[in-house]
Amino acid sequence: MTPERWQEVEVVLQAALDLPATERGALLAETCSEDPDLQREAMSLLQAHDEAGDFLEQSALEQDAQVLLSDDWIAAIAREIGPYKIIEQLGRGGMGEVYLARDQRLDRPVALKILPAYFVSDADRLRRFQIEARAASGLNHSNILTIYEVGESDGVHFIATEFIDGKTIRELIRAERLTLGELIEIAIQLVSGLSAAHAAGIVHRDIKPENVMRRHDGVVRILDFGIAKLVEAPASEMATEVGALLGTPAYVSPEQVRGQVVDERTDIWSCGVVLYEMLTEQRPFAGDTNADTIVAILERQPAPIFLSEGRSRALRLIQSIINKALHKDVSERYQTAAEMLDDLRSVKWQLEFDKKLIGAQTRVAEIPALVTAQISRSHQRWLAIASIAALAVMLLFVGFLFRRSILSRTDAPAHATRTYTQMSEAEQLGFVSEQEQRIAAMMGDRPVKLNDEALRAIKTQVDRYVAPPRPGGDSLPAIYGRAAPYVSVISKAFSARRIPVVIGIYLPIIESAYRPCYENSIGAKGLFQFLPQTAAQYGVARADMCDVNKMAPAAAHYIADRMAELGDDSQSMTLVLVSYNRGANSVLDALRMLRETDVNYERNFWTLFANRDKLDDTFRQESAYYVPAFFAAAIIGENPNTFELQMAPLSTQANGAVARP
Amino acid sequence: MMSLATSELTELLSDWKHGDPSALQKLTPMIYDELRRIAHRYASRERNGHTLQTTALVNEAYLRLAGGDSPDWQNRSHFFAVTAQIMRHILIDHARRRRFVKHGGEIQQVPLDEALSMTHERAAELVALNEALEELKTLDARKAEVVELRYFGGLSLTETAEALSVSLMTVRRDWRAAKAWLFRKIKNDS
Repeated sequence: MTPERWQEVEVVLQAALDLPATERGALLAETCSEDPDLQREAMSLLQAHDEAGDFLEQSALEQDAQVLLSDDWIAAIAREIGPYKIIEQLGRGGMGEVYLARDQRLDRPVALKILPAYFVSDADRLRRFQIEARAASGLNHSNILTIYEVGESDGVHFIATEFIDGKTIRELIRAERLTLGELIEIAIQLVSGLSAAHAAGIVHRDIKPENVMRRHDGVVRILDFGIAKLVEAPASEMATEVGALLGTPAYVSPEQVRGQVVDERTDIWSCGVVLYEMLTEQRPFAGDTNADTIVAILERQPAPIFLSEGRSRALRLIQSIINKALHKDVSERYQTAAEMLDDLRSVKWQLEFDKKLIGAQTRVAEIPALVTAQISRSHQRWLAIASIAALAVMLLFVGFLFRRSILSRTDAPAHATRTYTQMSEAEQLGFVSEQEQRIAAMMGDRPVKLNDEALRAIKTQVDRYVAPPRPGGDSLPAIYGRAAPYVSVISKAFSARRIPVVIGIYLPIIESAYRPCYENSIGAKGLFQFLPQTAAQYGVARADMCDVNKMAPAAAHYIADRMAELGDDSQSMTLVLVSYNRGANSVLDALRMLRETDVNYERNFWTLFANRDKLDDTFRQESAYYVPAFFAAAIIGENPNTFELQMAPLSTQANGAVARP
Repeated sequence: MMSLATSELTELLSDWKHGDPSALQKLTPMIYDELRRIAHRYASRERNGHTLQTTALVNEAYLRLAGGDSPDWQNRSHFFAVTAQIMRHILIDHARRRRFVKHGGEIQQVPLDEALSMTHERAAELVALNEALEELKTLDARKAEVVELRYFGGLSLTETAEALSVSLMTVRRDWRAAKAWLFRKIKNDS
């Protein structure tokens, strides 16, 4: 059939479908009297229409949800791909799934990497990858993973490589204390492999501890040559949260971050990072976010690896090798892997010499000389505990300050005599900055000096919040629009301090005006919906979804479950966004009842109400009441008055400590 | 900094809408991972016989990924459309692989997890639907798109109309004609 013919058929078909079933035949007979073929075609489609029933009516995902859930479906069905029989899944990453498989022709184990469909759907990209991977498979070196085959079977693209029975450098860093000798041995093999690849004109581009393995017999193998290019993202993407999904930039060279053309010297940089990390268990360039990490890569010098009195010459040499590999200026770096290899070998000799001198093999961490810049692991753990404790204290503190600010406003700092909206822009920025630093300090973290960009971003959010409501009230989307940004602001503010936040967004549809929401979803665009199905799971029938008495406890349980998903919720923060007119207090009451059973709920739970009815002047005073100190802690610090907002944490309300203004 | 992430998503969605194929490749892992994460969370508490609400899932994925910005309806339409396309790719890819699984001696080793996977019948059905849909696309691209949005993206008629910037009436008519056409096609081919 041609598109033109289909158009003709459709006109007749649609006209017939607009009529009652009994009149359709007659219409076809009449309109198609000169075209019996058209009549047959339309008739058969009419018949198909009648028979189709619920064909396609249930969405695919609802039937095939398990596809999203099954991690190891291939393994689960004893699958064969070409000559390879899958044995078990070894891992799953951005580049697809990796399986342990057996090559049935040669009866040997292989690691089978299966490329996800979305990487191979672009023929051009696939071709480039194959060229690269095949070039890499030509590399024959004892420190480079052997690629057996780059192939395709039944539409599944795969790479079969040697299976390595061993550990990645990442696992070694985590699990074991490497001796200095082991460290040098790994480094020599790593750089030696790179040197061979570079000689063949192949740059790895993604050297990191996950991509280097040590077999049980001590042989080091570099994995995934050529694959990095396939997934490589320009630096502009890596700077974003979204891009973060594509991998950490921690091992990436400055020129790679800038998106410039890279050569073998980018691998040398990455080696330097890996060496530094093996030695100190710290990354030389780290930040709370990828953007911070990138700034560190471009602008900061890594913390020096301090060498104290008992220093050995070997350690000093390593330090200088790492320094040279981590030169931001490529022309100052080692120009070839071979040069770096020479220096590493001299460390090995020095070490052997030292060893003869000292007598015993000394463990890295035991060498007194190596008092590195690292914060030891136990210290990190202590810091985490301390910051959680500090958080709890802070929350009490905020609550206290809030009460105090109500009771005694004269204590407020000088600039609080003016509200936020009355400040100049510079003052507002200064204010936000000051508060951010204060919060950071309160949370036991090192004081953070935010850069201008971050400050402005936060200020934008604050500005948006304090903007006066439009006359006549806001539409529902506008309310969500106003409330939603805080979700990410707060989440980011806390995640930057490594405190997990669960954000439940809860929109029970219990207002009569929005009753149709769950049917056509017009009212709850973009936000999570408390759908009839969810309601049913919490014991509320669809017909009862407008009954506050039934919905409130369901909502409370729902929120509590989301919190409990974190496991140990004593370390988490939960923010819940509630939007409806009636019943807010009922949910609060129900939550308080729940919280009595678990003290953590009291401490960590905050509610942000975007309450439709209150988005007028009353809201601006009363929302204060609802918008939590959580928000204050993140952005406003202890000065809600400055924002013409008064806010209390739920816990304070639960204690009955705050009277309504 | 949050604005960066958002403009990134917005930009990718817009690139995709304008036919840049690399945008889809960047969006896919991002959206797929998010969908998986959410689906896993749902499943962890809805053990038995649950079905996922596609719209809720996609809504949540959008909210999380769009995060820093106030929900933008234009963006959201594009997001839904691209998600429908991605879901289609994932399911068809899965179905294709499933179909080629060899039956034989090993099959009794299949652990309980097999129940999690797709049946052969379902896989065949999806592959057939995909082929029929490709053919429909050559006849009437918008109808194929309506089916993709509705069936793979879980969109309601109203949402489909919004996503395609056409009237609800048009979508309703497209849907019924497309369904009849596809039903007949698949029936005749099988």
